[in-house]
Formats: sequence, structure tokens, C-alpha cells
Amino acid sequence: MITDALVIGAGTAGLATATRLAQGGLRVLVAAAGEGSLPLAGGTIDVLGYGPGPVETPLSALPVFVEANLGHPYELLTSPEELAECLEWFRRLTGPLGYIGDLSRNHWVPTLLGGLRPAGLLPLTMAAGDLSRGGEVVIAGIRGFRDFHSPLMASNLSQATAPAGAAIEARAVELAWPGPASDLAPFRVAQRLEDPEIRRQLAAQLRPHLGRADAVGMPPILGRARTAEVHADLQQRLERRVFETPGLPPSLPGLRLFDRLRQALREAGGRLVLGSKAVAAMRDGRAIRSVTITQASRAVPVNARVFVLATGGFGTGGIVRDQHGGLSEPIFDLPVAGPADRPQPFGTEYFSDHPLELAGVSADARGRPLGVDGIPFADNLYAAGAILAGARPWREKSGEGISLATAYRAAASILRGES
Amino acid sequence: MTLIEKWAAGRLTESEAEWVRPSLDGCIKCTVCESACPFAAATPLFPGPKTVGPQEERFRYGPLTADRSVDYCSGCGICSRVCPQDVRIAEINSRARARLKEQQGIRLRDQLLARPDVMGRLGRPARPLFNWIMAAAPFRAAMEWTLGIHRRAAIPRVAPRTFQQWSRRHSPPPFPDRVVYFHGCSTNYFEPRLGRLAVAVLEHQGIAVDVPPQGCCGLPLQSNGNFPAARAYATRLARQLHAVPDSQPVIASSTSCGLMLKREAREILGIEDPALADVSRRTWDIFEYLRELHERGGLRTDFHPLELTAAYHAPCQQQNQLIGKPALDVLALVPGLRLIELDRDCCGVAGTYGVKREKYDISMAVGDRLFSDIRDAAPDLVLCDSETCRWHIAKATGFTVIHPLELLHRAYHGY
Amino acid sequence: MPRTLDCQILVIGGGSTGAGVAWDAALRGFQVILADRGDLATGTTGRYHGLLHSGGRYVVRDPDSARECARENAILREVASDCIEDTGGLFVSTPVDDPEYAERFLAGCQQTGVAVEEIRPQAALRREPRLNPAIRRAFAVADASVDGWKLVWACTRAAQELGARVLTYHPVTGLVRDVDRVVGARLRDLRSGEELEVRAQCVVNAAGAWSGQVARLAGCEVAVRPGKGVMVAMNHRLVNTVVNRCNPPGDGDILVPIRTVSVIGTTDTPVEDPDDAEVDPAEVARLLDAGEVLVPGFHEARALRVWTGVRPLFPKAAAGEGGDRFVTRSHTVIRHARSEGVAGLVSVAGGKVTTFRLMAKDTVDAAAAELADERPCRTATTPLPDSAARRFYWLGSRAQEFERAGAENPIVCECELVSTADLLAAASRRPQPHIDDLRRAMRIGMGPCQGGFCAFRAAATLHREGAYDRRQANSALREFVEERWRGQRPVLWGQQLRQAELDRWLFEGVLDIEHVPG
Repeated sequence: MITDALVIGAGTAGLATATRLAQGGLRVLVAAAGEGSLPLAGGTIDVLGYGPGPVETPLSALPVFVEANLGHPYELLTSPEELAECLEWFRRLTGPLGYIGDLSRNHWVPTLLGGLRPAGLLPLTMAAGDLSRGGEVVIAGIRGFRDFHSPLMASNLSQATAPAGAAIEARAVELAWPGPASDLAPFRVAQRLEDPEIRRQLAAQLRPHLGRADAVGMPPILGRARTAEVHADLQQRLERRVFETPGLPPSLPGLRLFDRLRQALREAGGRLVLGSKAVAAMRDGRAIRSVTITQASRAVPVNARVFVLATGGFGTGGIVRDQHGGLSEPIFDLPVAGPADRPQPFGTEYFSDHPLELAGVSADARGRPLGVDGIPFADNLYAAGAILAGARPWREKSGEGISLATAYRAAASILRGES
Repeated sequence: MTLIEKWAAGRLTESEAEWVRPSLDGCIKCTVCESACPFAAATPLFPGPKTVGPQEERFRYGPLTADRSVDYCSGCGICSRVCPQDVRIAEINSRARARLKEQQGIRLRDQLLARPDVMGRLGRPARPLFNWIMAAAPFRAAMEWTLGIHRRAAIPRVAPRTFQQWSRRHSPPPFPDRVVYFHGCSTNYFEPRLGRLAVAVLEHQGIAVDVPPQGCCGLPLQSNGNFPAARAYATRLARQLHAVPDSQPVIASSTSCGLMLKREAREILGIEDPALADVSRRTWDIFEYLRELHERGGLRTDFHPLELTAAYHAPCQQQNQLIGKPALDVLALVPGLRLIELDRDCCGVAGTYGVKREKYDISMAVGDRLFSDIRDAAPDLVLCDSETCRWHIAKATGFTVIHPLELLHRAYHGY
Repeated sequence: MPRTLDCQILVIGGGSTGAGVAWDAALRGFQVILADRGDLATGTTGRYHGLLHSGGRYVVRDPDSARECARENAILREVASDCIEDTGGLFVSTPVDDPEYAERFLAGCQQTGVAVEEIRPQAALRREPRLNPAIRRAFAVADASVDGWKLVWACTRAAQELGARVLTYHPVTGLVRDVDRVVGARLRDLRSGEELEVRAQCVVNAAGAWSGQVARLAGCEVAVRPGKGVMVAMNHRLVNTVVNRCNPPGDGDILVPIRTVSVIGTTDTPVEDPDDAEVDPAEVARLLDAGEVLVPGFHEARALRVWTGVRPLFPKAAAGEGGDRFVTRSHTVIRHARSEGVAGLVSVAGGKVTTFRLMAKDTVDAAAAELADERPCRTATTPLPDSAARRFYWLGSRAQEFERAGAENPIVCECELVSTADLLAAASRRPQPHIDDLRRAMRIGMGPCQGGFCAFRAAATLHREGAYDRRQANSALREFVEERWRGQRPVLWGQQLRQAELDRWLFEGVLDIEHVPG
């Protein structure tokens, strides 16, 4: 197969790079071993939440953070403004999902457990969950829906304080589902909520409990294709702002983002093949000539001018650790920077420090992964997203920010080189 | 006989040693497959591919499967395709379904639906009667009550002459490049014209087409849980195609039957036949082959402009070949043609699944999004590579649904 | 003045031995209290591979143990069928095993009455297709797998139904002596912090590997030598039959299918402290290498978790050379009145889960002698609760229940198919349960995701139903996450590392457990 750019991986980083390249006029093929991180994602765009203390303004915190974390992927940014520009591009790209926010401040949104967590950008359906300034909320669950427990969430939330110190008052309500229990799987329940009659019945149950509450928190089930309509209708019926809380997978907010990014790629003329695994690469001097991908009965080379590696970290097999602690990157055999030589890559306690988290491939300022000699592994190979070394995305609450920033950077380098 | 005794006596048909079951170790419960499964979304009777796949597989022991819900898996294979962890979910489920059928027995309807070649052979002599019955509402109602074939399910019409009959009289031109054409049962008995178009398009490229005698690939048998018969069919077909001298590409125009040869016969049925292994590596979807030809500069592009809008649906079994959407790539070369990519995974029929009385509604619910995309797009034509999907979509939407090959043929010949 | 309780027999230790003693003594009509420092079956019984020995393992070196195992195996199949899966067992000679051992094995089986049948290697491979195809000989025996937790609860439930009391999370802080007699024990209730005293006519020290520590509280001695063994649970059942190497005992010589997993075991290292649970990565590597000999491709299979258990070895007739596996594995009952002149204290040492019933019988015989009130043992003929139907456990049973109940009973733990109703029922029988207690009861969190999805569901569900207040729910969740982490840490590569990454996403990304209000 022949294309201009082959992007390996269909998570946030892969789809963002691919779409940007396709918008730039390249023929783009995305090959991914499967659907990656997006169907699991909470839907927020985390940029920098802890560094390590809570971050209020990512824009001003970023330079200090990069200084203190040598080798962090954010080092690739020439300035925080580049990230701001990238987020603006993302917001335009995902227009119908109505993402709000920028680098001027983090939003503090409730978790399923009732803590508050920082997030950079929020989709429209989560905007009202920003409790940075405190407030009174009702947390409305549905009895029998196993992944949302309003009593625990509300009682923890009432004890939580936003960094500014404003108090939160939260009350739990549990609604009876107006249909059979078999509706209460995440997809079906989201689908059912696209029916106005179900919303009418839920709203009627909920209204008497609202009191002086400013907003109503709900599980992340407000439809899939018609989310904006479901959300607006519920707000109208309740006369309150309504917000979803990021949930356990399968995650509708993540799926909506996945749907949207796929559509954006398609509209830009890019092609996506899911289930096809990149297994090897062929070089030609300083360049990668082809990458071999698997099909149903063969492995075939894909010839391209540029290649983007966005296969993620340990969770998706972008980086592999073997029984003896050896770390590898299985497609190009890139050197993996990480604590392979450290006797103990994991802390003894779960919430202690785990040096292995920092493992990944290193890249130059253009986003090209480095070879053993410290110079780019190939002139036409780029890397983006969670495969890059140096970050602790879950601690930092920085995962999507890193993916978007490095995707944007790689795409910019490629398009500059192509023009 | 106790389970252990059966085991010891070698009475189990499946070898647990094969790799499908071990792939469950890759499952990290991430639910990607559950979110992609259109059938789990459409019916609570199917709890989802992860649930009945890698999850329940840990509780399966020998032939005594406790779970019945796996019967509501359509075998569309989307789960395996989207799984980022290499778990052969659809394959695990297919095998579990076969176990279930081994215990329960396979009902008459499923035995019939699983043998399109028999239906075609028996239907042809009494063709007018057969086609009339299949279109007559009272008979279809009776068929629903007695057999359990849904009265509104699309049933194809039997053609007057088989494709094989045509091809026996057709002498291939003496081109040096030759391919073997695997036409499938549907082309042979129901849509022989498609086979003639395939031959014409290939000959237009200067490629001669061999059509050896060939039977059913066994896919419907596999989907209906009859693995022993499916194995026999697939092995026989592989040997028939293998018997053509010189190693030529095998070209398939039915995407589901092509996938059977490419992968499923080996990976689901576990056939370890050298002829199959060889044919499997040599099998190409017809558009995959044409795209490859184009990339090598060998595809003729003497197209007549086609001023129309066509919406393309890639069936699940086409997407499972992991070749992208070559029909779109090739048709994009046709001047004037406006193509719309319908980005949906499944039309719902999944071979014979949506024909069954108890599953028809599920099948329609699965297809709902695709159908509404088609209505919204209001194209002149709908394109789809798989026969059962074409019949199903046409019946559900009222649009004309053709194989993309037919459109390509029109582009070459300007009609 | 601490609260006091009275009984005839106080049993210290809630493993299979102590639970068996409580059941046996209660059946004989004694008033019994059983106390454990933690939950039931948290010591050796809850931390072993789950083998119900046919006796085959012992026929060459330890014929007395072999005979005992063969007899007890047959009895337990009658009285404890609900806890047993009738997997059957195989001893296989691989190409690297000493062929002569097979001859000694066969002869030993004949001498000890351990039922054995040689089958053709092809037949063994048909039965277990993943076995090493190069095996030279195969012997079928009556091994089975037994769920140690179910066994202990069945015994304590039977005892409770007969009036016994069970005090979990009640460590013994001292034994009360009246001159040359032990007359009771001081316990601390860890849940309330309260101290209490139990007065008993006889104290039974059934603390297994910890029995030396308990005896010392009365100034007595039990020379138990804890022997640590490492086990690795593999993510699914690679075999459905217990498979043993037909070789002298060594690391990783057995693969046991138990519930949804298979367990490769074990190693043997003498340790001073029975609470020493350190896992040496080299031991894990040795076990996996040994697994590869039994099942080719073992290294590619997913290791889920590693843990250690301690054997309560008691060198009664120390057979000498070569390490602890050659110490006899039969048990000894010590009447301290005879050995050290301290009446009212009986200890039991050595033994193994397979012979727990016999150990209990011998121990209660001794305790009854202390009470001068001898009554006949009835455990060999009285089925445990849920075993009256004499139906063995079947792996598919939970899947069957799940399919029947459907959406009406939502699943909390998907990997092990634990429903909300199951969870709440298990919690209702335990005051302020740790999620880990419910894990032992229901296997919640024991599957591939190791609590990734279910820990939150369990904590939040128990909070909703009033079993936890807010703080308890938060700390139960945190505690369980830490507990699951310990066992996974040594096997975090390949697939289990991918799992751990997803779990980290859930725990830190979605739930952000770290920042939940205190």
C-alpha cells in the first residue's frame, strides 16, 4: 500500500496528528491495532493539574514545570502559547462537542468518588461541573446503574474544597429508572436518554429534590449522537445547569470525542484501518521506507514519505516490558529511556513513586524519536503522545495535553518539511 | 459419560491447545469491544463481546457451556478488530457458540440457512415456483411460523442459469497474467451477473480469469455453529482452488467468503490443511487486488465519467480483512463520481443472523444508524461488497444497492 | 475489668485446622469459641495452591503422609464436596525427569494404597492438550482442587450452627495461666479496641506456622519451622486437571486448576518469621521456567499475581538431608501437660489442608482427654453445610447464575462474576468488612483486573447500603488497592503490566483516589 503519511495508533495523539496532516493536504492512512484510549477516556482535556502542587493557571505554571522536569514531553513546546494555539485548533476541530477552557485556569470538576480534580478543557456537558467557586449541587444517580454512586460521591464532595477554598454543598438523589433494568448498561442507557419521554420522567422525579441547588451532576450517559440536544433539554426541564461526571469505561464522553475525531479525519480525507498491527519497519539510509502492517492473511508493507508513531505507552503495547525488566519499542526497536537499570521500577506502595512511569522514547525538538546515538532515529519518523518519555500523566493530570501538544508539534514539523 | 471421561476419550471436538483461547490473557477488561459491539447496544439478550468472550471463557470447562447468550453474538467480528490487546474475541465466541450447538443440536432452519449451495441447487429446477413462494406474503408468514425465518427478511431470487454454467462456456483470453476467481454461492446461484462483471473487469486489465469448479466456503455453517460440516466445506473449497496450476492470486468478490478463506477457516475452524494455508495467503478481495494493480501502474483508467452520487458501506467482513476501503480508493479514480463514505460498522444482517425470526428486530435496530445515514445522504446508489448486506439494506431502505464492482464496470463501459 | 466469655474449648487460629477443630468439637457437643488475629483463612489455608492431595506426592518419601492423604481425600469427597472440584490429577514424566522415579512412584502407590492408573501419554494429551507433548509416561490419580476459604467457612458455619462462637480480628495478647494450667486467653477486639478474656477448660493452639508464637505466651514450646512457598496464579486455566511432575519434589512441580485460574507452585525456603512474605524475583522466574516444562508456552501465558504461604513444618521424624520438603508432612498433637507439665493446652503442628479433618480429630481427642470427657468424632460421616447433596463444585456455576439472573442482579466484579446481591450477603455476615475479607468470601477482585473496576463499585455499594460511612468507604477502597498492588508488583510485565496501566488510569485518572477528601 502507498500513502503520503502513515500514522500508527488511533488514540488522541494519532488521530490529531493524522487529521492535521490530512488538513494540510497529505494522503493519510491511520493503522491501529485497535481502538485505543479514546473509548476509555473521561472526555476532559487535562493539560497540567499537579506540578506537583495543584496548578491554578497552566499558562504560568508550564515554564516552571518544564524547568523542574527535565526530559518532559512539554519541553518540546517552544512556548506555552504554542499549546494555547493547539488547544484552540482542537476546540475548533471538535466544535459540536462544545469544549470550553484555555490555559488561563484549570477547572475543578467532581470525580465519581466525590473528590475534585483539575482539568484544562471540558466538553459542554461537563462545564457546569466546574466547582472552582464552590456552590450547591445535587448529585443524581440512577438506582441499579453500577458505575455511579451518588451517596458516596455527594458525601465526599461536601467535604471537598477547591484550591480557592470555596465550600461545596452536595446532596445525593437516586432516581428510579423508568424502564427495565436491562437498559442500565452504559450504552443502552445513553441511547434511551435520547428519548424525550425518558428524560421527562427522570426530570419529573428529580425536580422536587432540587431545592436551591445551582447545578445537577449526573452519570456520563447523556446520549451519544444527540448529546447536545439531550443536555439542553434536561437543563431546560430542570431549570438548572446539568453536568456529567467522567466515568469508568466504557465512557460515553470519550466515545463522543472518538466519533468526532474519526469524522474530522474522514472529512479531511484521511483513512483509518482498525485492527491492523504495525509489526516491522524497513529503512533506506536515513529514512524509513515502509512499515509492515498485518491484514487478515498477510503482512504488507505500507510505503510512505513520513511515519508517525503514536502507539501509546505500556497500556497499549507502544512500550513493552519483558519478564526480566527489559524495555522495548516493538515496531522500530527504538531505544527506550527508562529505569531498566534501576533495581526496583515500582514503589512498594501503590500511591508511592514508580520510576517506570517515566519510561518511553525521547524525541528531538521536531518530534522525531532519538536513536541510540542521540540523533533522530530516522529523518522521516515522528512520535507523539503517551509513548514519549518523561511524563507521569496520571499524577500530573497532563495526558491529553501531552498528546495534543506533541501531535500538533509533529504535524507542524512534517508539514513544514513537506512545503 | 462424565466430562473428564469424555475428555479422556477424545470426544471433544475442539482442541483447547490452539491459540484462540489463550488470547483471552490479553483482555484487560477495557470494554472497547463492548462499546463497539452494535448487537450489545441493540439487545439486552446479548450481554456484550467481552462478557461472553474472554470473561465467560474463564468459566467454560469442556462441552458444558453454561451460557446461552453467546447465541446472540452475530459473529460480525467488530470486537476482534477494535480490541487493542489482540484478544480473538469473536473467535472465542464463535467457538463457544459451536459448543453450545453441539450440546443443544442445530435446528432445521439453521441447517437450511447454513447451506446456500443446497438452497440454490434445489431452488433452481423449480425456480419460478421458488421465487414466487419467497415473495408471497402468505407463504412467508407460514415459513415464519414453521421454520422461524422472518417474513420480512430479504431472501434472494434464484437465477435461471448459474455462473458456473456461464463460465464453462466462456474461454479466457490467452493473457499471460492469470487469476483464479472465487465467486461464492451467491454469485453462482443468485447473482451470476456479478461474476460476469468481475471477469469482464479483470479481462479489461489484461488478466485472464480461471474459474475452477467450486463449492461453498462453509461460512454460514460456521456462523450457525456446525463446525464439522463447515470444516469439510472449507477444506474441499481450498483444495478446489488450490488445484489450479501455478500459484496465481485468488480473487474474491464476496467479502465475507473471501475472509473465510483468508482467515476464519484457519483461525475459527482451526483447519490445518496445506492447501488452505496456501490459498489463504493468495486470496485477495477484488478491489484490494485492483488497488494494488493501480499502485503498480497496471490499472486501466479509461473511465467514462459517471455523474452520480454513490454512498459506500464497507460490510463488517470487508473491514475485518484489514485492507482499508479499496473500493473507495479505486472508485475515486472515476471522473464525475461523488462518493460518500458511510462510516458504520454493520448493517445488522450478519449473514443469516438477521433472517431469523427471533433476531430480525435486533438486526434492524443494529442497521438503524446506517439506514438513516443513507436516507440523509439520499444518494443515487448505495454500494456494498457483501451480498446479504446488499439485500438487507435494499429491503430496509428501498434504495438500490449494488456491488461497487458493478459501478466500476459501468465506468469502464459507460452505461 | 475486661469482658469475659466462657467456653469449654477455646481454639486459637482460624485456618483449616482451627476451623476443623471447632467443627469437630462442636459436633461432639462441646462449647467452643474460635479466635483468629485476622479474618478466617488468612494464614496458610487461604494462601496455598488449592491442591487436595491424592497422596501421590508423598508415596516415595513420606509413605505415612501418603496413606493419610489417600484416606482423607476419600472422606472429604463425601463430607466436603461443595468445596472440592473433582479435577483428577496426573503425574507426568517429562523428558528432563528421572525415568527411574516413575518406577519408584508406581511402587510407592501400590505400597501406600494410593489409587493410580498409568495411561498412555497420548491419552493424557487428549485430556490436557496444552501439556508438554514430549511427556514419556503419565499416571492418573485422585488429586482434586479444594477451595480453602470455602472449606473454612463451611466448618465454622457448621460449628456456629451448633452454638460455637467465632471471633475474627481478635488476636491473642496473652494466655492466662493458673499455676501449671492454662485457663484461658486474653484477646483484643481490633474493631472496637476492647480487651476481653476467654476462660476455657482447654485451649487449643491451632495457629499453624504461628503456633510457636502462641505457645510461648504460656511459656511453652512448639518447635514449628515455618517454610515459605511462593505461588503464581496464571490468568486462566491452562489445564483442567491437577498436573504434577513425576519427580522428587522441587520448585514448580505442580500446576493446580482452581476456580478460574491455575496456580503453579511452589518453592520452599525456611523462614524465621511466618509473616515474612517477601518474594524473590528469582523464585518467580524458577516457577515460570518449571511451568514451561509442563506446559510449553507458559512464559507467554499471563501471570496474574504472586503470593507466599508458610507451611507449618514440624520435624517430628526429620528425614534429614536436602531441605524441608523431606520433613514428614503428617501432623503431631502435643499435650503440653505431658511434654511440659502445663495442663489445659493442646497444640497441633505440621500437617496440611488435605488432612485437616484428621488433624482436627486427633486434636479434639486430646482436648477431650484434657477435659476428661471423651466423646466420639463424627466428622468423617457428617457432611458440611452445602455438601449434603454430595455434588462437587463446577466451574461454570457462576456463569450459569449470571446468565439466569441477568440485569436484575448487576455484577460488581466482572472478572469473577460477583453480583451486588452476593456482595451484600457476604458483607452482612461480617461486621465492618475489609474489601479483602469479601474477596476471600466471594473472590471479588481476584480476576484479571485485580480490583480495577470492582473496588470502587464495592466500596460505594457498601456505603450506600450502610455498611460503611464515608471515611470507611474511602479507606476500604485505598486499602484494597494497596493490597492488590502487593501481589501484582512481582509480575508486572507484558499483559499484567498493561492491566496495571489501565487500573492506574481508573484509580488515578478517573477516580483520583489520591485526592479524595479524608
